[in-house]
Amino acid sequence: MSAALIEEFGRGDAREREESWRYSKTALRALSQQDFVAADTDAELPETLRAQFDWMQTRGRRVVLVNGAVSERYSDFADVGAMVTVGETGGTYAVRIDGGIDGPVHVVYVSVPSAQPSRWRASTSMVVVNGSARMIEQHLGVDGAGVLGSVRRRIDLGEGARLELVSVCDLPESASLYRLLDVHLGAKATLRATHVLLGGRLQRLDMQVELAGEQARLESRGVFALRGRAHVDTHLDVRHVARDTACDILWRGVADQRARGIFHGAITVAAGADGSDAKLSNKNLLLSAQAEIDTQPVLEIHADEVKAAHGATVGQLDERALFYLRSRGIPLAEARRMMVTAFCREVLDGVADPDLRERLAQRMHAALPVEE
Amino acid sequence: MMETTMLKIENLHARVAGKEILKGLSLEVKAGEVHAIMGPNGAGKSTLGNVLAGRDGYEVTQGSVSYDGKNLLELPPEARAAAGVFLAFQYPVEIPGVNNTYFLRTALNAQRKARGEAELDSMQFLKRVREKLAVLHLKDELLHRAVNEGFSGGEKKRNEIFQMALLEPTLAILDETDSGLDIDALKMVADGVNAMRSSERAFLVITHYQRLLDYIVPDVVHVLADGRIVESGDASLAQKLEDHGYAWIAERKLAGAA
Repeated sequence: MSAALIEEFGRGDAREREESWRYSKTALRALSQQDFVAADTDAELPETLRAQFDWMQTRGRRVVLVNGAVSERYSDFADVGAMVTVGETGGTYAVRIDGGIDGPVHVVYVSVPSAQPSRWRASTSMVVVNGSARMIEQHLGVDGAGVLGSVRRRIDLGEGARLELVSVCDLPESASLYRLLDVHLGAKATLRATHVLLGGRLQRLDMQVELAGEQARLESRGVFALRGRAHVDTHLDVRHVARDTACDILWRGVADQRARGIFHGAITVAAGADGSDAKLSNKNLLLSAQAEIDTQPVLEIHADEVKAAHGATVGQLDERALFYLRSRGIPLAEARRMMVTAFCREVLDGVADPDLRERLAQRMHAALPVEE
Repeated sequence: MMETTMLKIENLHARVAGKEILKGLSLEVKAGEVHAIMGPNGAGKSTLGNVLAGRDGYEVTQGSVSYDGKNLLELPPEARAAAGVFLAFQYPVEIPGVNNTYFLRTALNAQRKARGEAELDSMQFLKRVREKLAVLHLKDELLHRAVNEGFSGGEKKRNEIFQMALLEPTLAILDETDSGLDIDALKMVADGVNAMRSSERAFLVITHYQRLLDYIVPDVVHVLADGRIVESGDASLAQKLEDHGYAWIAERKLAGAA
């Protein structure tokens, strides 16, 4: 069973698969010992869950997938207009944006459990032919018998196109999710992606970005904030293929209780990609002796005149600062929360829309570990 | 009139990293008084401040500290603060990413909540902040920065006194607040303290030098040496120490013992 899931989610040869899943093998094996039924794509969404994605700003431009299938009932993309087409071909839902559009497109993935453990798979693609677009991606779930979702997604940005992607994955402890995000950036195209990962039994994000055209640029910011037994495994794989391409990666991680976080960030500058600029910063905070975070930055350079900087750390809250806050009357739990929020703040600074940034900050603040 | 004892320290012994630093310190402070604690480096001055504020790693092995009739040592730091104890740090900590205004408001309201008082809304809070900033000659701009981040040494110390003014403690402990201050900053700090002197409030001014005590005139001066109070007197004791140095105390102790 385990072999089946690792084959489904793993890439490359057996050795590469093994290596890429080394920190999550046990979690994946435990998951594969279940028998899954197909998840119900007509499942009813509880009101409390609908309230989590029914944002005023995104009415009329929202696509909701229930257990992997676009739901006519809950989606609302009346206002997206002629610039955007949403369609299905061969099981892949495609969003095509031709020209700049105002306001974000909101894509919501909901995992709803059945009586037994269930699974769903989705495949989506997004093409921004030109102009600039914003997308908010949200993963939500209802607690219950486990649900395992998998999403394969392709994003293509044409010459000079620009996409701001904000992705929030906020799963209950029973839900698992595998995501493969495959990004292809043309000349002078820019992707600015912000990922917020909260919880989940096993959450894996594989993000592969190819800087294929000259002066293509990736800005990737992300944070995981975990507690309980959450397990989040993040793999970034950035390839500089063309000249003068740039990537700026800034990820933060926080784990409390028995949570487990993994950050793997690989940057490859291929031969000929001269003048590339690669930056990676990954800092992590451990809040309990039982929590674990592994970070692995990998830099491989085969070109000339490359600027590259990377750093990764795993540390603990500054005890002096905690005492300082407490000595002013701030209770320990609140002091910890303030410091953890401050630690993660840089990631959200990348979100341009102040309302959305505030929404994310509040959600993260609520999800953050505060155990004493 | 009977003055009430606010702080009573009896035979306090404390260890830091396994080493005994306080070796039977006793001290009594009444409401309305300013006590100066002077002493050479390594005498245990900062340890006393940290023990009173409840810092981790300072292990009390013997003795007691009662504050307003309560056993201070069993309270966590935040409860001590809510009960009115304030420590102005010798080395104020920089906390990147935590906005100063947010920090101060959270602190003030947490204390008020713990005491069962109504929390201040942002208008009330800002009004109070502006009043106190003016006293310390600090700029508004400080409120928008992260806690102590990028502050100069003098700004950090003034920020401590500003926090004290805002939080209005009943027992304020100043741990070498004068160190590293130029004369202008020293006067501002002293003004901030003097403006707060009242019959309900007490101060423990920990210092190595007599200079600060020219501006904050203490009611009582204690000399702390090797973990104990070895001499107490009025404000003139500080001047004698300044004239004769700490060696003078050691000689007097020897002479007394002989």
